[in-house]
Amino acid sequence: MRLIYFCLLLWLPPTYAATPEQPIRFGLTAVVLTENLRFLDQWSQYLEQKMGRQIEFVLRKSYREVMDLVTAGGIEFAWICGYPYVQKRTPESLALLTVPVYRGAPRYHSYIIVHHSSPYTRFTDLQDKIFAFSDPDSNSGFLYPLSLITEHNKGTESFFRHSFFTFNHAETVQAVSEQVADGGAVDSYIWEYLAIFRPDITQQTRIINKSPGFGFPPIVSRLGVDSATVKLMKQTLEDMDQDPIGKRLLARLKLDGFDHYPDSLFNGIRALANTTKRNELMTQMIATD
Amino acid sequence: MIVQDWKRFHDVLGEKALLLSESIAATTPKAMLRKDYWQLYQSLKNMASGRPEAKGNHGVITAMILDAEGRIQAHLHPADNPMGLPFTPRNRLEQEFYEQAMSTRTPIVLSSDSFSKTGFQEGVVPLFSDQKYLGVVRVRLSIAQLYEKATSTAILILALIFCFVIIGSALGTIVSRRMVKPLTAVTQGLEAVGRGEMTEFSPIPIKERDEIGRLSVTFNQIMAELAEKKMLEEEIAMNEKLVALGRITAGVAHEVNNPLAGLLNCIDTLRKHPNDKDLIDRYLPVIDQGLHRIKEIVHNLLVGLKIEGGDESISIQRIDKLHDLIAAESGDKNIDFIWENNTDQNLHIPGKTEQIVCNLLKNAVEIVADGGTVICNLHQSGPFLIIEVSDNGPGIPSNIRSKLFDPFFTTKPDGTGLGLWIIYRLVQSMEGIIEIKSEEGQGTTFHVAIPVITKKAA
Repeated sequence: MRLIYFCLLLWLPPTYAATPEQPIRFGLTAVVLTENLRFLDQWSQYLEQKMGRQIEFVLRKSYREVMDLVTAGGIEFAWICGYPYVQKRTPESLALLTVPVYRGAPRYHSYIIVHHSSPYTRFTDLQDKIFAFSDPDSNSGFLYPLSLITEHNKGTESFFRHSFFTFNHAETVQAVSEQVADGGAVDSYIWEYLAIFRPDITQQTRIINKSPGFGFPPIVSRLGVDSATVKLMKQTLEDMDQDPIGKRLLARLKLDGFDHYPDSLFNGIRALANTTKRNELMTQMIATD
Repeated sequence: MIVQDWKRFHDVLGEKALLLSESIAATTPKAMLRKDYWQLYQSLKNMASGRPEAKGNHGVITAMILDAEGRIQAHLHPADNPMGLPFTPRNRLEQEFYEQAMSTRTPIVLSSDSFSKTGFQEGVVPLFSDQKYLGVVRVRLSIAQLYEKATSTAILILALIFCFVIIGSALGTIVSRRMVKPLTAVTQGLEAVGRGEMTEFSPIPIKERDEIGRLSVTFNQIMAELAEKKMLEEEIAMNEKLVALGRITAGVAHEVNNPLAGLLNCIDTLRKHPNDKDLIDRYLPVIDQGLHRIKEIVHNLLVGLKIEGGDESISIQRIDKLHDLIAAESGDKNIDFIWENNTDQNLHIPGKTEQIVCNLLKNAVEIVADGGTVICNLHQSGPFLIIEVSDNGPGIPSNIRSKLFDPFFTTKPDGTGLGLWIIYRLVQSMEGIIEIKSEEGQGTTFHVAIPVITKKAA
């Protein structure tokens, strides 16, 4: 009889584990390859284990949708591009959390790629051709090539015969490799990542232009998330390179780690956005769309 | 059947192409209006590669989305068909398909209408947004797989037919052989019967209880009975031979014994009276006559029994000479002797024929009354010489006709009864036939057929 009571005691679920806490929602964009769901599971499990909180990755097609989620309070953290980060918002809804370190520095580039068999060697060769942009809110996939066009005082529609958005850097590489587009603009990190895992695609492309270094797409927190969580997340991410599992996960991401950098890291993008007559061009694009 | 299948599959493939076009067309107008070329391309791409199980199988050869002006909005092969440029058909046939695709306002299927690996089925679906014509979706499926399937099916069916024909004919041969084998045995048995080899016939083995089996059983029975009959016949023939031999022996004994008794009597008397000249004069001719008679009997018997020899041939003209001889024999009897020889004068006949004709004529002349008629007719019938000797004598009574050729059978008081027996033996030895036609009071005709010796053989 005593044994049964003992068993019953053991069977009783521990009440302290049933905290009705909201999971931490983490928005991901095309700055990272989001197709690898198994990896995301492992990463979320790692974060859950380290933070003692449930982590939920939220995937959306465009940067804008993720940004909207941040603004609306739908997510607590997001990995976004530097361009949406530097865009002015009133009121400001997000804060820089941490920046990935890629090949020793928190920097990346925009690659202008063409098909390997094409005769194009300069960006201007792509005039009156078909061009694939990644995302209208992407620095490497849109703002940088846009800045190259504005140097010629032309809008995208008048510079290229046709242009389209793939909303995904990897798909931009695909569009160029399959010759749907004559040229495309991609995140160097994604291109290099693909060069390792899908060389068959990147081998079909050739880089004809490499932008100066820009601040690597950062991880931001929504203003209003409690500081303890923000701090915990920042710490957990920045400590990943100290942890064997974390290191393995970073290796999968082909990143060195996460680290704290000042907001000035993104001044380059800020300057590009300012010098590019973006508003004007965007108006043009909306009109033609 | 193959053609029907082909047509059915071909139609199904057309429907499939149309279905794929329609599935693309469902999302296309929106993307077209938004100029979302990437999505347009991806919809084509996914459609073409999104079905790994169907890859290569009714594979998508090409697919495209064209706007109302025929400009490429998306193409499965973008390298050769750059976006935004007008679609340019490569040849006249393609031009026709292009014009049809651009002019249709309802979904249609375009067929290459050729039974070949390069054939295709194309689903064409026009695009509308709010009833405004936007362009067209074209999805072309290869019939290569279908073609291969159809050809391999056709080959398979032909091979099967061929196999069935071979197996069928082989089986047919075996079955017919099995059926024919007993029949062949029966035929061989019948042929053996024809050759008269009944006793050497080995029974047909019986395997089946079918009609042929029963036939074989019956045939075996018949053969066994025939063999028995033949043996009986041979026995009878042997008996007859013995009987004939006995008759001859008895005849000889009787015929020789009769004069012998008289002769012994005469000799005994002469021994008792050796000096009686009268007796000697009276008995010597009697003894002479008796001995001659014995000599004649013995001679005739020898002739009758020793006819096997003497195969020499003579000319038919030798027979003609008998005419005069027989005419002389008739003596003082007034006989109308008619001689008809219609044979080839160069004909050669067995030498024994002469004796046959001679004996028959002698008998005829002897039997006819004064003023009677004897006709000798010689003619040819096929390989036979036909001899007909007729007389209008008293005829032969029917009760003695069967004994006519027996040795020592005679109706004449001084006959030996060996004449006709010799004729019969001679005809038999030449493998000829002798027949008698006789009517009492009307006369008799002897009909003899003898195989002719050809001139060459002579």
